[in-house]
Amino acid sequence: MPEVSMPRLSDTMQEGTITRWLKKTGDQVKKGDIIAEVETDKANMEIEAYNAGILEQILVHEGEVAAIGQAIAIIGTGQSVQKSAQPATKSAPAAQLATANSAARATTSQPAVQVPAPISDNGTRIKVSPLARRIAEEHGIDLRLVQGSGPSGRIIRDDLEDYLEKRHAAPAVAQPVAAPLPVTPVAPAAPAPVEAVPADVDVVALTTMQKTVARRLTESKQTVPHFYISNEVDMTDLLTLRPTLNAASEGDVKISVNDLVIKACALALEKFPEVNSSYKDGQFLRHKHINIGCAVDIPNGLVVPVIRDVNLKGVRTIARETKALAEKAKAGRLTVADLSGGTFSISNLGMMDVSSFVAVINPPEAAILAVAAIRKTFVPVDGQPVIRDIMPLTLSADHRILYGAMVARFLQEVKRLLQNPYALLG
Amino acid sequence: MAEVTFRQALHDTLREELLRDENVFLMGEEIGVFEGSYKITAGLLKEFGSKRIVDTPISENGFVGLAAGAAMLGLRPVVEIMTINFIILAMDEIVNHAAKIYYMFGGQTPVPMVIRTPGGGGQQLSATHSQNLEVWFAHVPGLKVMAPATPHDAKGMLRTAIRDNNPVLFLENLALYNTKGEVADGDYTIPFGKAKVMKEGNDLTIVSYSRMATVALDVARRIERESGLSIEVVDLRSLRPLDKETIVNSVKKTNRAIVFEEDWRTYGIGAEIAALIQEDAFDYLDAPIKRVASVEVPLPYAKPLEIAALTSTKQLIDVINEIAPRRRRR
Repeated sequence: MPEVSMPRLSDTMQEGTITRWLKKTGDQVKKGDIIAEVETDKANMEIEAYNAGILEQILVHEGEVAAIGQAIAIIGTGQSVQKSAQPATKSAPAAQLATANSAARATTSQPAVQVPAPISDNGTRIKVSPLARRIAEEHGIDLRLVQGSGPSGRIIRDDLEDYLEKRHAAPAVAQPVAAPLPVTPVAPAAPAPVEAVPADVDVVALTTMQKTVARRLTESKQTVPHFYISNEVDMTDLLTLRPTLNAASEGDVKISVNDLVIKACALALEKFPEVNSSYKDGQFLRHKHINIGCAVDIPNGLVVPVIRDVNLKGVRTIARETKALAEKAKAGRLTVADLSGGTFSISNLGMMDVSSFVAVINPPEAAILAVAAIRKTFVPVDGQPVIRDIMPLTLSADHRILYGAMVARFLQEVKRLLQNPYALLG
Repeated sequence: MAEVTFRQALHDTLREELLRDENVFLMGEEIGVFEGSYKITAGLLKEFGSKRIVDTPISENGFVGLAAGAAMLGLRPVVEIMTINFIILAMDEIVNHAAKIYYMFGGQTPVPMVIRTPGGGGQQLSATHSQNLEVWFAHVPGLKVMAPATPHDAKGMLRTAIRDNNPVLFLENLALYNTKGEVADGDYTIPFGKAKVMKEGNDLTIVSYSRMATVALDVARRIERESGLSIEVVDLRSLRPLDKETIVNSVKKTNRAIVFEEDWRTYGIGAEIAALIQEDAFDYLDAPIKRVASVEVPLPYAKPLEIAALTSTKQLIDVINEIAPRRRRR
């Protein structure tokens, strides 16, 4: 009886949230039919059926999370559709592990989402390494409560140690949950492990995308030695040039300051290829393409769609592409391709009147540029105060492969290009 | 302690054994007048004469059989097969005679002979001259198979091999001859069936032998410096008998194992080690046992293809990254 399992839809994906089932239990399914939509760490994707038959059972329901490889549905001949109302709990050898999904689903107070329990046709089974199984027995851990991080969601020792640490920490410290935004519940994706939560706190489950942001940025700050270099750019000439450019465009997309900053970075990266690289396993990977990601603010999160080969594109093309990507981002329609392959990122908070900030590097990239608001500022020109449009920039760089002087020269080049904006039109 | 090359360690040991026991003699192609294809026997003909240092015709089947007969009658031949690739001609003498005589004659006739032979690829010697055939011999009861990785071990193990009363295959590796290492003074020996923990670690075990053990040690040290991953490296040293205890104890400690071998993967040494680990340490395993071995093709001559076919640091590092635990042990 073929299982439909959670496919790997991107390089960094570890799990996916089922956002919608397009087929119901009992529906006829043809090979290639779209049966469900899934939210991954990067984008919303569709899952298609690889087998024809009757959708006999939905194992992971809307709003629930499944690890890669975990069975999410069963497509069969239709004979066991009726039985599926009462999930089979046939006795498997390891009785305590046997009834993961069905038992967890029975406790309706907690949605059974974190249980990585691929279902075989003669019962249910949790994947667990021999060592982890032994540790769980020794400590009396219910494996249904543990999230597996090994291949295909296998529970390994690391997972049990994480779990034990949490279990020890939970009763002692009733720490306030760090919920940065008091938002109403988004998805019923609360993790199963029981932890005491004070009554005056609303628990908001993170979406898959938010979890990814949390995981990747923690990883970045913990493993990438950041250093920061700032300077200020006189944007007066560029601001004079921009209306002229846009006046000539006659209804085409308007070129924004940010588009010109992207172009300046691309040209500077061409000149300083070190900055357009990654650190990996003791090696320096220099990327041959200059693909720049731009952080886009979306409800409850952040995405960084990528514009490819920016150095080879004119500013108007860049403007068109950034606009299209931002619209796709807001509509939640970005694809994995839109979000991968970046070699450098830009985060621009200028429109929010930010005086200066530093950004967290987006791994495996080696640098990110934080762009603050342009302000009218008195600067001395020939000993006299003159009002100019000044924009502060701060570059965060990975000190494993980049060094102060080199990055300073790169930033100087960005500045030079922005202060000579005609250079951006070549 | 003195630092010597692997080649020098072998040479010195042969010379010392020739001096120690007059029943010891050497035999092989080009070992006398030409002083050995790899110069292990340099100077020995001059010192010991042609009765003790015997140049043979190109006739592996003949002179290995001759050695077995001489050993049965009380001499202690040490045969050099120019490379392991030529040993195939002598398989009948080794497997059907030398390995079985002691057993079939009820223990009346020991066969105290050693066959030394280098193997390994990477020298652009192409498909028929670059093989690792150790598993053929490690499979046969009645043979002992040694494969040292360092000059120190080579010396202690060759002494043990020459002084043992039954046939020993002593496997060398072409790429190790020029490597250097500290060698202890004195007449020490290293017993059969004793692996060595080259480097202790807590997160993962690499089991290897011969040249790949030295490569594994380099990789383990480098990764530990770079990422803090603590890797234990076990050098088998002896492929038959096998030191099960050291392997199993290491995996019980680290819970993860990689076997790193220059031979072909299928039916290789790694297959045996993996089977042993799952039999004796199943409940300690936290990840599948991995084998890192060479691509299953006759080794190409062209340098880029030869590099692509032989397993190396890159393949090892990829697999380490694949199975390394997230959390570090103390």
